[in-house]
Amino acid sequence: MNIAKKRRARAIVVALAAGSLALTGCSSGSKNTSEGSNTDADAAKQQAVIPLGDAAASQGPAVEVPGAKPGGTIRVYQRDNFDHLDPAQIYVSDEGLLATLYTRQLTTYKTDKNGKKVLVGDLATDSGTVSDGGKTWKFTLKDGIKFEDGKPITSADIRHSIERMYAKFITDGPTYVQQWLSGGGTEYRKALPDGPYKGKHLPDSTLETPDDKTVVFHFKDPQPDAPFALAMAAYGVVQKSKDTKEKYDAAPQATGPYKIESFKPGKSMKLVKNENWDAKTDPFRHQYVDGFDITFNHQASDSTKRLMADHGEAKTALSFTNAVDPLQTREVLQDADASKRVVKGYQPYVWQMNMNMDRIKDKKIRDAITYAMPNKQILGLNGGSYGGEVAGGLMAPTLAGYEKGYDPYGKLKKPNGDPEKAKKLLKEAGKTNMKIVYAYANTEANQKVSVVVEDALTKAGFDVQKKEVDSASWYAQMGKVKNGFDLYMTGWGQDWPSASTVIPPSYDGTQIADGASNYSHINDEHVNSEIKRISRITDIKESTKEWQKLHHYIVEKVNPAAPVYYTKQLQIYGSKIGGAEYSDTINYIDPTRLYVKK
Amino acid sequence: MLQFFLRRTLGAAVILILISAFTFFLFFSIPQDPALLACGKNCTPDSLKIIHENLGLDKPVPVQYLEFMRGIVMGRDFAVGPCPAPCFGYSFANNQPIFDTILDRFPTTVSLTVGGAAVFLTLGLGAGMLAAWKRGSLIDKSFSSASLVLSSMQIYFLGPVVLGALVYSTNLMDSPKYTAFTENPAAWFVGLLIPWMVMATIFTANYTRMSRSTLIEQLQEEHVRTAKAKGMSGKTVFFRYAWRGSLIPIVTIFGMDLGSLFGGAMITEQTFSLAGIGRLAVDSVIKTDLPMIMGVMLFTATMILFFNVIVDAAYAFIDPRVRLS
Repeated sequence: MNIAKKRRARAIVVALAAGSLALTGCSSGSKNTSEGSNTDADAAKQQAVIPLGDAAASQGPAVEVPGAKPGGTIRVYQRDNFDHLDPAQIYVSDEGLLATLYTRQLTTYKTDKNGKKVLVGDLATDSGTVSDGGKTWKFTLKDGIKFEDGKPITSADIRHSIERMYAKFITDGPTYVQQWLSGGGTEYRKALPDGPYKGKHLPDSTLETPDDKTVVFHFKDPQPDAPFALAMAAYGVVQKSKDTKEKYDAAPQATGPYKIESFKPGKSMKLVKNENWDAKTDPFRHQYVDGFDITFNHQASDSTKRLMADHGEAKTALSFTNAVDPLQTREVLQDADASKRVVKGYQPYVWQMNMNMDRIKDKKIRDAITYAMPNKQILGLNGGSYGGEVAGGLMAPTLAGYEKGYDPYGKLKKPNGDPEKAKKLLKEAGKTNMKIVYAYANTEANQKVSVVVEDALTKAGFDVQKKEVDSASWYAQMGKVKNGFDLYMTGWGQDWPSASTVIPPSYDGTQIADGASNYSHINDEHVNSEIKRISRITDIKESTKEWQKLHHYIVEKVNPAAPVYYTKQLQIYGSKIGGAEYSDTINYIDPTRLYVKK
Repeated sequence: MLQFFLRRTLGAAVILILISAFTFFLFFSIPQDPALLACGKNCTPDSLKIIHENLGLDKPVPVQYLEFMRGIVMGRDFAVGPCPAPCFGYSFANNQPIFDTILDRFPTTVSLTVGGAAVFLTLGLGAGMLAAWKRGSLIDKSFSSASLVLSSMQIYFLGPVVLGALVYSTNLMDSPKYTAFTENPAAWFVGLLIPWMVMATIFTANYTRMSRSTLIEQLQEEHVRTAKAKGMSGKTVFFRYAWRGSLIPIVTIFGMDLGSLFGGAMITEQTFSLAGIGRLAVDSVIKTDLPMIMGVMLFTATMILFFNVIVDAAYAFIDPRVRLS
C-alpha cells in the first residue's frame, strides 16, 4: 500500500509529520531499546516467513498478557478522525488498527508462546485448506462466534460480506479477493454490479457456502496468499440483516471484543465491551479494559506532551497511532521516566526517489541519481534515527525476503551520497549539466528535503529544476502517466508480509495507467514475466526466494527508483497502561493487549 | 422594529446566497478532484468515475449548485437516505450528515466563545474604565502598557506557553478538554478554563485599549461637560453619560468578534485540541470536502450576519439618537 492514510490527499503530510502509517503487514519492534536499529534477532524475526497455523493454533483464548488485570478505561489521543468504520472500506492504518478491536475476519495473526508470529484462523477453525493447485480455499467457521446482537455468524454472513464489496458504494478498501474471484481492475464489479442487495449472488463456482459452517473460495488462478489477504480488516464480517449499506460506515456491528457505543465524527468515540464476544473463540484478542475513550484532533506534539507529563487522565492514556513528535524525541528519551514508557519498531514503508523511466531512459543517469542521493540528510529531516534508517534496497525490513546489508549502491557506506561517482557516471552518459525536473510536495519537511536533494544533484552535475506540488493532490499528480516530472519521492508498504503486495503494484509494467502505483513507469519484460510466474508459486518459502531474486534484478539491472529510507515508529504511553507492546503485524502498539494497572 | 428585522433578514439572505454561490464555484475552480477523497489505493479512472456518479459530481456545476441550494430549503434524497431541510448533504469524507456534524461541534464553540467573551468583556471593559477614570495615573499607564504588550501576543504563542507552565511542567491543571455542560458543569468549567484565559488575555487587551480611548473621547464631549456643569456627581456623569456613549463602538466590535468566534475559533481550537466549528472548517478544506466546506461557510456567515443584526438593533437601545432617526 502506498502511504495513503486519510486518502492520498494527505499522504505526504502524514508520513512526514507523524512518521507513520500502516495497516497490515509485518513489522518488528522491540521494547525499551536504545537508539538505533533493532537487534539482529529482531531483524531475523521480521524476515521470517509467517507460517500458516493449524486448528490447534487457531483456538482461543489468546496467550495471557503477564500481570494483566481487568477493568478501567483507556484514554486515546488521536490526530485524525476514523473516516471509515465499515470493514469493507478500510484500507488505512489507523482504521485498520481500530478494527482489530471491533471486527473479526476469517483469519488473523497471533504471537505464540515462543513469540513467533503465526497466521491462524480467527472466525475460521484454521488458516484454510487449499486444493486445486492453490485455486480453491476452504474455511470452516468456529462454534460460538457471534455478532454483538447475539446472532451466530454463519457462512451466509461471510458470503454477504464478500458480495457487498462488489457494490458501487464500496469505493475504498482492498480488492484482492474480489479480483481473484471475478477479474482484475474494476472488471470484478461486473460480476455483481449491485452487490447482493437485489437478490443476485456470486455463483457457487466462484464462492460456495454449502452449509452454515463452510465457505469455499474458487479463485481463477492459484492464490497462495489468500489466508493473508483474508486477514485484512476489510474482510471483516458484516451481518446481512444489519447491513445498512452506506450508513454502515458510521455504525458497524461488532464481532470483536469491543463495540462502538458512540461515535461523533472528528470529535470522539467510545468503545465498550462486547458482551457477545467469547474469548474462547479468539486466538489473538483480549478484553481486559472496560472500554476506550477516544478523542480526535490531537497533533503529535500535543499527545507527546500530554503523555510525557503523565498527569491526571494521561496516566491511563496513549495514542493508537500518533508517533512521538520528532521535535520532542530527544526530550522523551532523555527523560528517565518517559523513556521507560516508549515502544518502537519498524513500519512497512520504504521511501524511494522514483525516476520517471519514460523520461530518464539511460540507466547510467538513473545510477548517477541513486549514487548522488543524500539519504541520511533526507532521513534527518524526517525524524532521524527514530523516524527510520537509510535504505539500501526497495524491500522493507518488515518484509519476508528482506536482506540486511543489501546495498548495491553503497548507500549504507556513503549515506550522504557519492557525488564524485555520480558525476563520473553522468559524464560517461554524456549528460553533464543535464536538466532534471524534480517534484516535491509543498509541506515544510519536503521543502527542506528539496534543498538537500537539489544541492546533492547539483554537486553531481545535474541542472535541477524544482517544481513544488500541492501536497493534498501529491499522489494523484504523481500517479498520472504523463506527469511531466523526472524525479519524485513516494512511499509504499506491504498489505501483508509478502513481496507479492509490493513488487507487482510498484514494478509491473503491464499495470501502468493513470492512478496506478507504478510511479517510475518501469516496464521491463523480464520483470513483467517474472511477476506473473512468481505470483503463481504456491510454496511461500519458494516464492519469497524468487521475489528476492527479482528484487535484486529490479534494483541492480533496472534501477527505477533510488531507495531512500525505511520508516520506524516510536510511541509513548501513560504510566498506568500495561501490556503496551509494538505489534509486528499492526505496526503500532497492539491495542488488544492493553490493560490498566491498578 | 419588525420592519427593521425583516429588511435586515432579507438582506442577510441575499448575502448568504452570494456567499454560497461564490464558495461553490470557487471550489470547482481549484485543480483538485474531490472524488479522490473517497478513492483509495486502487484509484483507477474507472473507480473515479463510479465515485463521481455516487457523489453527483458527474453533473454540471450549476446543476450541482442548484440541487445543493434546493436541499437547504426543501431537503433532498440521497443514497444514504433522506436528508430533511436544511440539508447540506453528506460529507464526502465520511458519509456523515453535514448539518448534524455542525450541530455536534457547535456546543464546543459556543462554550469556548461564551466563556471567553464573559472573561474578556468583564476584564477588558473594567480595566478600560478604570484607566479612563484614572487617566494619567500609574494605573492608567500600567494598564495601557500591559494591554499594548498583550494585544501583540498570539494564541498560538501564548497557548503553548500557558499549557507548558500549568499543565506539562507543573501538573497544576489537566489538559483542556470539552465536557458538555449538561453532563458535568464542573468538568465543563475546569476543562475550558485555560482556553478561556488565553483567549481572554488577548481580547482583554484589545477591549481595554478600546474602552479606554472611547471613554476618554466621551468624557470630552459637550454633553458630558454640560452634565458636570450642572453639578452632577462624577460617578453619575461617568456612567450615565460618558459610559453609555462609549458603548456603540464597543458593541460594534463585540458583535463582529462574537460572530467570528461563533463561526469557529480556529487557532484556539487547534491549539487546545478542541473539536469545534473552527477545527471542522480547517479539516474540510484540507480534505476538499465540498459539502462540509459549504455547510461551515454558510453557518459561519450566518453567525456573523446574525450578530450584525443584533448589534444594529442594540444601537437603538444604547443611543436614543439612533432610535429617533
